[in-house]
Amino acid sequence: MNLALTEMRRSKLRFGLLAGAVSLLVFLVLLLTTLSTALVNSITGALNGVDAQVLVYSAQARDNLQASRLEPGVVEQVTGVDGVGAAGPISTLTTSAALKDGTEDLQVFGFQPGQPGAPTGLSEGRLPQSSAEVAVDGGGYVIGDSLDLTAADKQLEVVGLLRGAQFSATPTAYITEDLYGQIVKATNPGVPFVPVNAVAVSTQDDPATVVSAINEQVPGTKAYTKSDAVALIPGVASISQTFGILVGLTFIIGIVVIGFFFLILTVQKMKSFTLLRAIGAGTGRLSRVVAMQISVVVLLASAIAVVLTLLAVRGLNSGIPVSLSPALVAGTVLAVLVFSLLAGLLSIRRIAKIDPFTAAGAR
Amino acid sequence: MNDDFVPAHPQDPGLDPAQDAGSHADAILKVEDVSKIYRSGDTEVHAVSSATMAVDQGEFVALLGPSGSGKTTLISMIGGLLSPTTGSITLAGTDVAALSKRELTAFRAERVGFVFQAANLVPFLTARENLLYVSTLQKRISRKEAHARADQLLEELGLAARAKNVPEQLSGGERQRVAIGRALMNDPDLILVDEPTAALDTKLGRQVVELLAREIKQRGKTGIMVTHDLRMVEYTDRVFEILDGHLTHVEQPSALAH
Repeated sequence: MNLALTEMRRSKLRFGLLAGAVSLLVFLVLLLTTLSTALVNSITGALNGVDAQVLVYSAQARDNLQASRLEPGVVEQVTGVDGVGAAGPISTLTTSAALKDGTEDLQVFGFQPGQPGAPTGLSEGRLPQSSAEVAVDGGGYVIGDSLDLTAADKQLEVVGLLRGAQFSATPTAYITEDLYGQIVKATNPGVPFVPVNAVAVSTQDDPATVVSAINEQVPGTKAYTKSDAVALIPGVASISQTFGILVGLTFIIGIVVIGFFFLILTVQKMKSFTLLRAIGAGTGRLSRVVAMQISVVVLLASAIAVVLTLLAVRGLNSGIPVSLSPALVAGTVLAVLVFSLLAGLLSIRRIAKIDPFTAAGAR
Repeated sequence: MNDDFVPAHPQDPGLDPAQDAGSHADAILKVEDVSKIYRSGDTEVHAVSSATMAVDQGEFVALLGPSGSGKTTLISMIGGLLSPTTGSITLAGTDVAALSKRELTAFRAERVGFVFQAANLVPFLTARENLLYVSTLQKRISRKEAHARADQLLEELGLAARAKNVPEQLSGGERQRVAIGRALMNDPDLILVDEPTAALDTKLGRQVVELLAREIKQRGKTGIMVTHDLRMVEYTDRVFEILDGHLTHVEQPSALAH
C-alpha cells in the first residue's frame, strides 16, 4: 500500500495534467539549450576544436580571428618563446564554392599538417596531407567526393569528414597551408606575402603563463588561452546570454509551477494529512509521499519532454547540426528534480506544522 | 463529591475518582491527576483539572460531557495526541506523558486505535486501503497477515461488499464502520472513540455504537467513548462524566440530562 502512488492512480487526470505542463516546460528547456549549444558550436567549433592550448592574434585584431593578420615569420618567433612546445599557422578566409548541398558559402581553414592548428573532431577519413585534398564539416559531402572551389578554380578530393568543426555557422573546409597560399595568390596576384590569421601553440606548461610570455616577447601580437579566444568570438557571448535568460526563466517557471501545485495539493489534503498524523504516520513518512509524487511527476514529464525534443530536433531543418546530448538530458532532469524537491519543501513545511490534536476536533 | 451517587460496580469502594483508580490496581489505563492548562496572555484556561481514572483491560467506558467540557482534550492526552501539563498517564506500563514526539507517533500507530467525529478516512483510498495503510505504520504484522486481517474486519463490520469503494461512495454509517475497522486494524491496546455518532442519525448511531461495543468486547480490547449523547451510554460498562474540566465517575448518567 503506497499512499503516494495510490493517490496518483486515483487522480490520473490531475497528476497527468501537471506532468503534461511540466513536460512542456522541460521540453522548452531542452530544446532551447540544444539549439543554443548547436548555434554556439557552429560558430565556435573550428576554434574550439583546434589542436592547441594557446592562440596568438595580431595586436590590432580586437580579439577577432578574422581581423587578425600576421606575417608568417611570427610563427617562428612564437616557437622561440619560453614554454611553447610547438607552433603552427592558422589561416582562414570566406569564399564561395559550389557545394554539394546547393549552398555557396564556404569557410576555409589552412593549417600545417603535423603542427598545432590542425582541426580535431574527425568523424570519418583523415586530414588532408596534400594540396589536392580537403576535410570538410557540412555541405553534404561523403569521402571520395570532389569539392569544387570555384573562387580558386580548384577541384579537391574529400578525404575526411569532421563534426563540430564549423565556423560562423557555415560549412567549413580544412586544407593545407600550402594550398591556402596558392588560393590567396590565385585570387590576389599582387600579394607580397601570404598572411596567417593566428598562431596555434601547443604547450606542456600552464597556458596562462605561456600567454603572458608570448605577450611580453613577441611584439605586435596578443595571445589568448583557447577558451578565452572562443568566448571572444563576436556574437557568442550575446547568444549564450540570450538563450541563458530564456532557459533560466523557463526553468524557474517550471519549478514554481511544481512547487505551487504541490503546495495547493497539500493544503487541499490537510484534513487527510492531519488524520494520518493523528493515527501515527510521522512527518517524515508524509513528506516522503510528497517527495515521491514530485519525483514521479518530474520523471514522467522528463520522459515526455525527451521524446518531444527528439521529434523536434529530427523535424528541424535549421541548417546547423543539432543533436540532443544525453549529458544535457541527464543534467536538466537532475536539476529539475532537485529544485522541484526543494520547492516541495513548501509543502513539507506545512505537513511538519500539523498538530495531530486538531484531528480530534475536526468536525 | 456528590453523595447521592451509588457505586457503579459493587466492588467500587466509592465514587471519588482517586479512590476509583485505587480499586483498579491492575488497570491497563491509569490516568493520575492529569491537568491541561492553556495560557492565553495572563489568563489560564483549565481545560482538564486533576483528572484521575482507571480502566481495566476489556472494559468499554463512556466519557460523557457537554461540548467544551474538556472530554476531547482528555482522550487526546490519553491517546498521545496532546501532552498533559501535569499528571501521568500509563497505558499497559508505558508512561505516555514521558514519550518524545517521535515516540508518541509510534505509540499512536501501534498502541491506540482512533475513531474521530468526522474526517475519519483518507478520501482517495478505498475502504480496504484505509485499513491496510494503518498496517504499514507498524512492523508487528506482515503484509499477508494485514491483508487477511483487513478482509476479516471488513467482513465482520458488514463491509465486505464495499471494500473497494472510496469514502465518497459510502454512507455516513458505512464510513464510521470503516473507521472502526481502521481503529482495530493494528490490534491496539486501547480504542479511543470521539463522538462517533455526531454525523449520524439516531438509528444509525446506535447501530454503529453497538457494533463498536461488540468488536471491543469480542477482542477483549479496552475502549473509551466520548459522547454527549446519553442514549449511547447503555452499550458501555461504566460512565465518567466531565464538566468544566472536572472528571467524576457516575452511576446515573441521567444526571447530565440538562
